[in-house]
Amino acid sequence: MRTVLSVNNLCKQYPKFSLKNVSFNVERGTIMGFIGRNGAGKTTTLKSLVNLVHPSSGNISFFGLPLNGNEKKIKQCIGYATGGISYYHRKKIKDIINITKDFYPNWDDNMYRHYLDLFSLDEDKKLMELSEGMKVKFNLTMALSHKAEFLILDEPTSGLDPVSREELLEIFLELASKGVSILFSTHITSDLDKCADSITYIKNGEIIVSDKISSFIDRYRLVAVKEDNYAADNKMFLGVCRSKSGFTALVHSENICKFNNVQVTVPDLETIMVHLEKENL
Amino acid sequence: MTKLLKKEFILTGSILSYLFILFSLMAFIPSYPILVGAFFVCLGILYTFQFAREYNDVLYTALLPINKCDTVKARYLFVICIQMVSLVLTAIVVAIRMTLLKDAVPYAENLLMNANMAYLGYFFVVLAMFNIIFLAGFFKTAFYYGKWFIIFCIVTFVVVSIGETLHHLPNLGSLNALSGDVSLQLIVLAFGAVLYIAGTAISLKLSIKRFENIDL
Repeated sequence: MRTVLSVNNLCKQYPKFSLKNVSFNVERGTIMGFIGRNGAGKTTTLKSLVNLVHPSSGNISFFGLPLNGNEKKIKQCIGYATGGISYYHRKKIKDIINITKDFYPNWDDNMYRHYLDLFSLDEDKKLMELSEGMKVKFNLTMALSHKAEFLILDEPTSGLDPVSREELLEIFLELASKGVSILFSTHITSDLDKCADSITYIKNGEIIVSDKISSFIDRYRLVAVKEDNYAADNKMFLGVCRSKSGFTALVHSENICKFNNVQVTVPDLETIMVHLEKENL
Repeated sequence: MTKLLKKEFILTGSILSYLFILFSLMAFIPSYPILVGAFFVCLGILYTFQFAREYNDVLYTALLPINKCDTVKARYLFVICIQMVSLVLTAIVVAIRMTLLKDAVPYAENLLMNANMAYLGYFFVVLAMFNIIFLAGFFKTAFYYGKWFIIFCIVTFVVVSIGETLHHLPNLGSLNALSGDVSLQLIVLAFGAVLYIAGTAISLKLSIKRFENIDL
């Protein structure tokens, strides 16, 4: 598979937070979920990808081209959208598009009309008249009309109702099947269960895992622990949460043979994330 | 750059920035500190910065397939265009007052600054101060501008005061003349023009450097 995005040892220092050697790759036609709790460094990483944030060190390449020195060329081929922020909210869609399309030699008006219809967007509406979900669709329309091959989406599904989220995820899958790559951050991990091919998990500015979603889940198992056994097995627990009947603990799959007479289940993404973030009680 | 300038005028520019150009016509008002017209032109430009901030314009522009420094260049070009139109309008008023209306009673008895070559020079100075103080200050964060506009207001007050005082000093009376020896006026005009060009160029260079380093 062709690598469309390669991030190597990305670092960014802030007074109270730092990104530490963030590295991951995104392949062509795949969807990568970028997860982590609030303040973990997701938005900083995504903004670094479009040069809105300046990394202290590290390398970012799109389509084999380093971002430094090729920003203009790379931005022709990518789309960036973030939930909750809109531009020129008192302007009509058609006015924004009329200006924006001039910047993209690849702009395809037929494609633009196609997505307007698909997303039921009225170009005579002002952006402020659109719901959050429709704003995301508008941003996608802009990106797809200039034939972006790579979409960077910062929490595109936050604030959407379940039906709109489902619609959007179906669109992502459709786009991926056409060769578009998508990197999107979200707190709603159930969205990723439905559509992501790979997961990159960031915690306190460090990448914990970047792997295929099946391999990511295979790394972990969830065991139900009674209070009596909690202390004895503590060292193997990656994270523990209280449950009605005691505790649930996340363990590495290779350690599962060391547990006898316990209920073992395959965790979903949310369970893994919650346990890893909580660590031990 | 043409596309970016089009974007500045159509998407970003506030209608007030365009309307406030008409304050250049204040130069027609007799017995009035007409140099505040230049201040009002700059005040009009401030509204575009307010609009732009409300519209997340900097973020939108920075995401376009352009070099990041072009975001700054486009905004400077927009400001320079507004200022040049106001200067041309002012120059027309100056030409009318120095020729057709030079003997008009309200202007002949004017104790305050007359619209002449020196006035154009002072006009340049006020615009230069806006570009040096406000624009370069704004691009330190691409967000905050209040402090820089207040500093600009204070400096403008000083410039207006100096302009209104100089022609009352001995041997500097010709600064306010509508005819006769205009050599002193030409010196002020040349000084203003050079300050405007050099100040704007330095301010642009500084703003680009600052903007490149900020995280949006």
